Amino acid sequence: MGFFSHRSRRRPDRSKFAVDGTISLWLLSLLCLTASFKCQAAEEQVSEHQVKAAFLLNFTKFVEWPEAAFGDGHSPISICVLGEDPFGSALDQIVEGEVVEGRRVVVRRIKEPPLAKQCQVLFVSPVIKDVSQILTSLGPGVLTVGEGSDNFLREGGVISFVIENRHVRFDINQGAAETEGLKLSSRLLRVARSVEK
Amino acid sequence: MRQPKTLQLVPITLATSICSYRGLRPEVCLLSLLLATPLLKGDTPQGDSSQTGPSVLKKLSLEELSQIEVTTPSKEPQEAFRSPVAIFVITGEEIRRSGATCIPEALRLAPGVEVARIDANKWSIGIRGFGTRLSRSVLVLIDGRTVYTTLYDGTYWEVQDTVMDDIDRIEVIRGPGGTIWGPNAVNGVINIITKNAKDTQGMLVSAGGGNEEQGFVNLRYGGSQGQNLNYRVYLKAFTRSPEDHSDNRNFDDWRAGQIGFRIDWKRDNKEAFTIQGDMYDEEAGESVDAVSYTPPYSQIIDGNALLSGGNITSRWSKMLHEGNDIQIQAYYDRTNRHEPNFGEIRDTFDVDFLQRVRWAARQRVSWGLGARLSHGNELPVVSGLTFTPAQTTDQLFTAFLQDDIGLIDNRLALTLGTKFLRTNFTGLELEPSARLLWTPTAKQTLWAAYTHAVRTQSDVEEDFDLSGYIATTRSGIPYFAQFIANPHFAPEQLNGYELGYRRLIGKRVYADVATFYNHYHDLFSEDIIGAPFLDDDPPPTHILLPAQFRNGLLGYTKGGEIAAEWGPANFCRLRGSYSYLHMNLGKSPNSGDVGTAPGIVGSSPQHQAMMQAAFDLAKVLQLDLDYRYVSALPGQLVPAYSTGDARLAYRVNRQFEVSFVGRNLLQPSHPEYGGDPGPLVGIKRSAYVQVTWMK
Repeated sequence: MGFFSHRSRRRPDRSKFAVDGTISLWLLSLLCLTASFKCQAAEEQVSEHQVKAAFLLNFTKFVEWPEAAFGDGHSPISICVLGEDPFGSALDQIVEGEVVEGRRVVVRRIKEPPLAKQCQVLFVSPVIKDVSQILTSLGPGVLTVGEGSDNFLREGGVISFVIENRHVRFDINQGAAETEGLKLSSRLLRVARSVEK
Repeated sequence: MRQPKTLQLVPITLATSICSYRGLRPEVCLLSLLLATPLLKGDTPQGDSSQTGPSVLKKLSLEELSQIEVTTPSKEPQEAFRSPVAIFVITGEEIRRSGATCIPEALRLAPGVEVARIDANKWSIGIRGFGTRLSRSVLVLIDGRTVYTTLYDGTYWEVQDTVMDDIDRIEVIRGPGGTIWGPNAVNGVINIITKNAKDTQGMLVSAGGGNEEQGFVNLRYGGSQGQNLNYRVYLKAFTRSPEDHSDNRNFDDWRAGQIGFRIDWKRDNKEAFTIQGDMYDEEAGESVDAVSYTPPYSQIIDGNALLSGGNITSRWSKMLHEGNDIQIQAYYDRTNRHEPNFGEIRDTFDVDFLQRVRWAARQRVSWGLGARLSHGNELPVVSGLTFTPAQTTDQLFTAFLQDDIGLIDNRLALTLGTKFLRTNFTGLELEPSARLLWTPTAKQTLWAAYTHAVRTQSDVEEDFDLSGYIATTRSGIPYFAQFIANPHFAPEQLNGYELGYRRLIGKRVYADVATFYNHYHDLFSEDIIGAPFLDDDPPPTHILLPAQFRNGLLGYTKGGEIAAEWGPANFCRLRGSYSYLHMNLGKSPNSGDVGTAPGIVGSSPQHQAMMQAAFDLAKVLQLDLDYRYVSALPGQLVPAYSTGDARLAYRVNRQFEVSFVGRNLLQPSHPEYGGDPGPLVGIKRSAYVQVTWMK
């Protein structure tokens, strides 16, 4: 019966291998350690969220908000991050000093869904659940941005980031934008990976 | 006697289904993400000091931003991180950098998986114990198609193949997944997912060779028709030399060829349709014990298994409206297997349906239905290995229902569900589970689960008559032990308890710990059921010791896995894992089992450790090193071993890459598992060169 190969075997042992592999293990870690000291010299690569931060700023230039979205003519354009902030300092550095259509652009990190006119761009961290509830509770004039899942658009979000072949792309739900009273420029629609009506 | 292979069937239940744990889109299935890598890389904003820092990025246009290559290979890292299951995702990139030329070798990258190469074309693969050549109780799927045979509830690894570059990822779930995945997802699930055709556009040609991989070639062409329709076709072939045989019976040479295609169509991200298929033909050398009631009674035959087959799968998914989507999948699979002592032709048809609905504010309900028919024709080759009846049609009908409930804010979630299944061998069986997920912060996840899973019986337990030659008596009458078909074999049962924790420490260290206690009963045993008697059917007269496959074993396994990843620098990544397993199996008081339990316990390693390092030495130069340790397998007489692999790849230009791969480098050869008649087969040190051209 050797049908099932876990059957015990009765055969002489021939242990002729052996080499002490732990040496290579230490070698590996050593290599990496020394490498880390030199790492600053290596070429920097761009992280996904740096690019996403730059996109967020760019979006403000290609979206037309209804008047009702702002407190007054001088109110800034607020990019709000709801939930865990994946951008670190990158978003602040990118937005710093930017003025779009005569309005300053600022970053806010919030823990609760925003009040009316508080945010013009709302980035919803993927940690947030009950997204559809939050999205429906928002006043008009909020450009909602999510990442990582088709569901965000299905639940009424306007823009959703996706990673495709190591590039950051985004999908647009144009119906949701209209509901929000936002006008998206044709250039934004063209760059989008896909546009749902 | 050795066995067959081929087939596939099993319930699949849609690869997607596990998505419902956290609501991913079905066509993509499963946590698409990489457990380990992603968080590290995606969440590491750099300072503004470099050429590509924020000050530069902010000046780029929309179009330019779309062109930047970013460091995260993963799609949605959060999903795996926040799943209440012990999942590990092997990415396509990791597979490529490992130099693995086939799927079983790639599985070494996942913690808690026991991969042991028996010879050039056979593996023993287990998850959390129970490693055997047949990989029973581990459900394996390729793009939603169950590649697992109802003949014996296991997988023939040597016929599961595709172009390695086309694999998007392999999701390995340790622990029972029966609620979603169905029967036989007892110890784990291995879900192999190939890339969408839109991600394999253009031409790819790779070829190479070395001492073991004597020659291989892969050709793939991807094209598109308009924006929404993409396709690819491929061809691959290889020839592989035998491993190290101390008796020079180099029977395990291996030659194979495979072709296939995939077409993906989508509309508005709301509707998608995929159709794909493969055909293969191979000769895999093997050594088998052919037993017959006529002299010479038992004969070791070195010959070729002639293996061929084909499959076609189609899948349609549609979002009916927000928070409500459905998927339907159907496939047909054919396998032909002709071995020196056994033959089988099997046709399998499978249909699955899945729907996911958001219900009330905090609930997501998934449900599904599945049906499968698998017709097997067992060809008698030797009289010591037959099936009664020789032709059967196995049936499987499943339904599942699962509810994902948000309990407190976004922090606590409960998933409850059960599978209902019925086969031609069983009445109604339930596979319920409860999973609790707590995410105190975005960087920590704690989860716990209880699952009940079953392995339903297969043709082997119910219809199989298998004889083993013992001796010839002085009067010249041959003496055999015979396993007699057992129509009363019951499903094997598992109650699994799991606890897991994941944490991102700082920006660069990620750790995942999973522990388990699995209690089994009604496990497969090999029982002596009576005294020897004289039998003359079939002639000539012989003595038979009657035996039977029964459900005589029970016991538990416990253990855990720790996996960690550390990215000390952008160009360097270290990964490590350690897996511990303790198995305690024995026979129940009324069982007549003779020594099966120690064989099972002694065939899975108690300790496994692995360490990998990946370096991007320059933009065009990659170096990967890996080291692994596997403790002894007393049941196979295999001592502990450690060995390592290395790969150096040089990208000559945009289209052209050369890589050098060495595997099992630390000794001339080492055995990893028994299983073939004769002395243990040593797995050789090997090397190959590969050139890849893509356009």
